[in-house]
Amino acid sequence: MMLYAQHLEENHMAVNSEDQVFLFLSQILGKRILDSEGRSLGRILDLMVRLGEPYPSVTGILLKSRPRKAVLFFPWQNPVETNGCFVVGSRGLDDVRELAPEREEILLKESLLDKQIVDTNGAKVRRVNDLQFLKAHGKLYLVHVDVGFRGLMRRVGLERATDFMLKGLFEYELPDQFISWRFVQPVSSPDLLRLKIAESRLSQLHPADIADIIEELDIRQRTAVFQSLDVETAAETLEETDPKIQISLIENMEDSQASDIIEEMSLNEAADLLSDLPKDKAEGILKEMEQDIAEDVKELLAHPEETAGGLMTTAYLSFPPSTTALEALQVIRREAEDLDFVYYLYVTDEEEHLLGMLSLRELLVAAPETSLSDLMFRRVVMVDLDEDKDQIASDFAKYGMLAIPVVDDQKKMKGVIMFKNLLEVVAPRLGR
Amino acid sequence: MPGKRFLSAIRERFFLLSNRKFWKSLGILLAFIGPGIITSNVDNDAGGITTYSLAGAEYGLSLLWLLIPITGALIIIQEMGARMGVVSGKGLSDLIRERFGARVTFYLMIVLLLTNLGNTIAEFAGIAASMEIFGFSKYFSVTIGAAFVWWLVVKGNYKSVEKIFLTACLFYLSYIISGFMGKPDWEEVRRATLNPSLRFDAGYLTMAVGLVGTTIAPWMQFYLQSSVVDKGLKVEDYPYARLDVVIGSVMVNVVAFFIVMLCAVTLFQGGIRIETARDAALALEPMAGKYCSGLFAFGLLNASLFAASILPLSTAYTICEAFGWESSLNRKFLEAPQFYGLYSIIIIIGAGIILLPNVPLIPIMYYSQVINGLLLPFILLIMLLLVNDEKIMGKYTNGRVMNLISWATVAVLIMLSLATVAAALL
Repeated sequence: MMLYAQHLEENHMAVNSEDQVFLFLSQILGKRILDSEGRSLGRILDLMVRLGEPYPSVTGILLKSRPRKAVLFFPWQNPVETNGCFVVGSRGLDDVRELAPEREEILLKESLLDKQIVDTNGAKVRRVNDLQFLKAHGKLYLVHVDVGFRGLMRRVGLERATDFMLKGLFEYELPDQFISWRFVQPVSSPDLLRLKIAESRLSQLHPADIADIIEELDIRQRTAVFQSLDVETAAETLEETDPKIQISLIENMEDSQASDIIEEMSLNEAADLLSDLPKDKAEGILKEMEQDIAEDVKELLAHPEETAGGLMTTAYLSFPPSTTALEALQVIRREAEDLDFVYYLYVTDEEEHLLGMLSLRELLVAAPETSLSDLMFRRVVMVDLDEDKDQIASDFAKYGMLAIPVVDDQKKMKGVIMFKNLLEVVAPRLGR
Repeated sequence: MPGKRFLSAIRERFFLLSNRKFWKSLGILLAFIGPGIITSNVDNDAGGITTYSLAGAEYGLSLLWLLIPITGALIIIQEMGARMGVVSGKGLSDLIRERFGARVTFYLMIVLLLTNLGNTIAEFAGIAASMEIFGFSKYFSVTIGAAFVWWLVVKGNYKSVEKIFLTACLFYLSYIISGFMGKPDWEEVRRATLNPSLRFDAGYLTMAVGLVGTTIAPWMQFYLQSSVVDKGLKVEDYPYARLDVVIGSVMVNVVAFFIVMLCAVTLFQGGIRIETARDAALALEPMAGKYCSGLFAFGLLNASLFAASILPLSTAYTICEAFGWESSLNRKFLEAPQFYGLYSIIIIIGAGIILLPNVPLIPIMYYSQVINGLLLPFILLIMLLLVNDEKIMGKYTNGRVMNLISWATVAVLIMLSLATVAAALL
């Protein structure tokens, strides 16, 4: 596939000097089609392309025939362009058939032009002003999406006027703004999106970028994009999304589907999300979740969101004091995947009283047979379950820790607040 | 010492307020409310208040009845906008771009930009006029006003801004209070409202058209639909959105009612001629008292500031949405240059023109009304086409009855706005 793409690109370098090798959709739509004897068959209404190739090729023309006042469809047979008209081969209208888009086939004007697309290269939502084709090997390939001002002016019919004005007044040449088709993810309809799931370009983006994109789309597109993601990406994306949008995304899903995604989220994010959902929905999802995760989440749900109890996660590492460094490492290797926080190890007695802590680094450099009670640091900074977020934020600032453990009134350890989870509290005060 | 019984009686009386369930259900209701009320209230902006004052001062109570059909028309139009927002999840300019293509959108947006620029100038003029009544020079008030508007949007987030706006809606009460201070003869007011009287002189008709035109403005349709979308309302929540629209439309006309009435029972009966809302506020002082005049001026300030905060933002959003430019307050200036550029230009030009010495304010307000009137028919027709498009609305298109009512309403509105334009140009 890559090879093919490269081949195409070399090709258009080579033929660059030829006239009219690149065509815009706006230059094709509305043009007259003539048969070989010069009789007008009608005007071009739309073009059909087949997706799935790196650069989709045009497979058919939708035509508005004048004499019959009907909409006709026939396959693309590389018509020749002369004097602003397209001339088709001798067969003319013989090939006319019913408009019946096959799978992977879409009409460009209807489903792409003027619609929103995701530019996966720049991680942005853009609007399609025009589409650019390359004419090669007797075929027309869709190569670029025009999202620039020049494309807009071309559509409006003021491209030359704008050029003339900008050049005359400011010596400025309006640049083209193209996105290669390879970096485009159409989102205008759920169907279009589903076509592309196999090679979804979205999943290659960072979840934070996907979250930004999702926030810019409308409700239906959001749901479609979100549901096209795999469970893990979906969970990470959800963590990065605005709470209001999180809720609408989850509410539009089946409980079982939603629970799969929420299980993959970190515990405290999951708890925050569930606490914002309507009660019935939250309970439905909890029922579908794996038993142990659901219980951990429920425990977190008991605490108000703005306090230590609501901010903490319960998926951390804790060990009895007699554990050796080697044993601890083995446990970490086995369980790290499911834990939210692994950089600090907490040492607790049988009743979960917090005795001390050490960092992963200290564990790594320690002799394998040393017990954790010899390695641990005993004067641990900790906060109460109902500690306010502002106080916690200033503790983080003061002690420069990655995480702070949370204890109840009997000093039993209940969870850990990661610095990351406080970012939402602190970030607005950092100034933009 | 107050007995236990007394305390428990108090507790009982306030039981409703201390009941969490009550607050929760009220909270749910309030969560859906906002867009319609805010949109309608912004509509009672500087231009609106001027028109209402003039209507009352020049024609007394004889135009009051018109506010009832206006309320109906406003509800019908806004309901369609809210429904489109809820069902499609898209803003009006999105839908226009996707359904009607780049060319139509481009020219429509240029006219909308000019119209809204004109309206913004009028809002800053309102700020200047109301603050002059309190003795502040326009150089001071407009500069502070523009800075406030800027600060609100750049530093605020959606939730806090909406709260501020909803609070601003409450300040419209000042007009209702000042209405009572005018000590109207309620029996006469009731008679004038319920017995429509139509006069066929040019001035009366122009004023009637002006009343309609100032209440139903093109930009509102864009703003309402975007804020409905922004709220993320779903189809199931639609009844709340409709309620919101109805409450907002009624509220806006109640305020208008009190302004017309106050000016009718004071200025009209006293035979005082005014040309602006500021004249009205000043003229009220000897007739209805210092406080009444002050409240009137305060209402004008609130309305102008409120509208000046929303118009530039709404315009920038609408245009960027249509052309696919970044339009988020969470972006930096360089990431969304068109958005911030448009927003800044509208504020700078809007406030800047008012700061010019000897600027002809009345013609400016007048012509901004004219462009409003020119644009409105197109917007209304487009809305009707969109709301009846099954590809967009699915089964939520207009029913037959609704279509009949809405086409009739739109037809009347189109004739009225053409009449406004004709009247202004002749």
